[in-house]
Amino acid sequence: MTEWFDLDPDEERAVAAFMSRVADLRTPSPESRLLASSELWCKAQLLRRWEAERLARRPLDIMHRIEIAGGLVAAGLLLYWSVPYLL
Amino acid sequence: MGRLDEASFAAFHARTSPGLRAYVYRVVGHESDADDIVQEAFLRIIRTDVRAESDEHLRRYLYRVASNLIVDRWRRRRHEVGEERILHEPATPRPRYEDDAAVAKIFAELKARDRALLWLAYVEGESHEEIATSLGVGRRGVKVMLFRARRRLRQLLQARGLLVNS
Repeated sequence: MTEWFDLDPDEERAVAAFMSRVADLRTPSPESRLLASSELWCKAQLLRRWEAERLARRPLDIMHRIEIAGGLVAAGLLLYWSVPYLL
Repeated sequence: MGRLDEASFAAFHARTSPGLRAYVYRVVGHESDADDIVQEAFLRIIRTDVRAESDEHLRRYLYRVASNLIVDRWRRRRHEVGEERILHEPATPRPRYEDDAAVAKIFAELKARDRALLWLAYVEGESHEEIATSLGVGRRGVKVMLFRARRRLRQLLQARGLLVNS
């Protein structure tokens, strides 16, 4: 049990008694939208797989961006060098 | 206990879900938000593939995750509507019995953090250290906050002449 900061037996008794009443309060029964444990398990596995796929694809995505950037730079340089010959 | 498999998770879920839901619901005060938090906490337990020493250890970890999600919710809502309103945000319990209504109403008048502190200390029987871990605050801070929460509850009970004696 918790050791109290500034123990007052009366206060302790009153609060503990009240909290036991709070603990006994009924919680509304779960709505049907609450997932069952098997559904939670499946969802977690699915999320875990997506996360693994996303991590595996990340280097490819980065390379794709680098390819595009490299292509744009190359096109820009080509244009820059070819301008004198075109004029 | 080791790593969770589907069967052990199902048993763990059946054992801890009602208690966790009651805790989150009493602190958050909104049924749908509480359900979202409970589900997310269980999902995170599975996804992190936690290696628990014991069932109790895993249960405490679950409460820690749920408490962090509650704190995240406070922070998100604080950005939306301002800190003062969040701290005094009343819970909206729907008690079944008239007698319960008074108890639920008084508890709902406490600040959300006070509700979490009192629940973890009295209902879950957690130590200051465990509460500190669950709520992400210092151990010394928990002592002070818990003392203040108890004092506020005591004042509420006194104001209504409802000082409950054991």
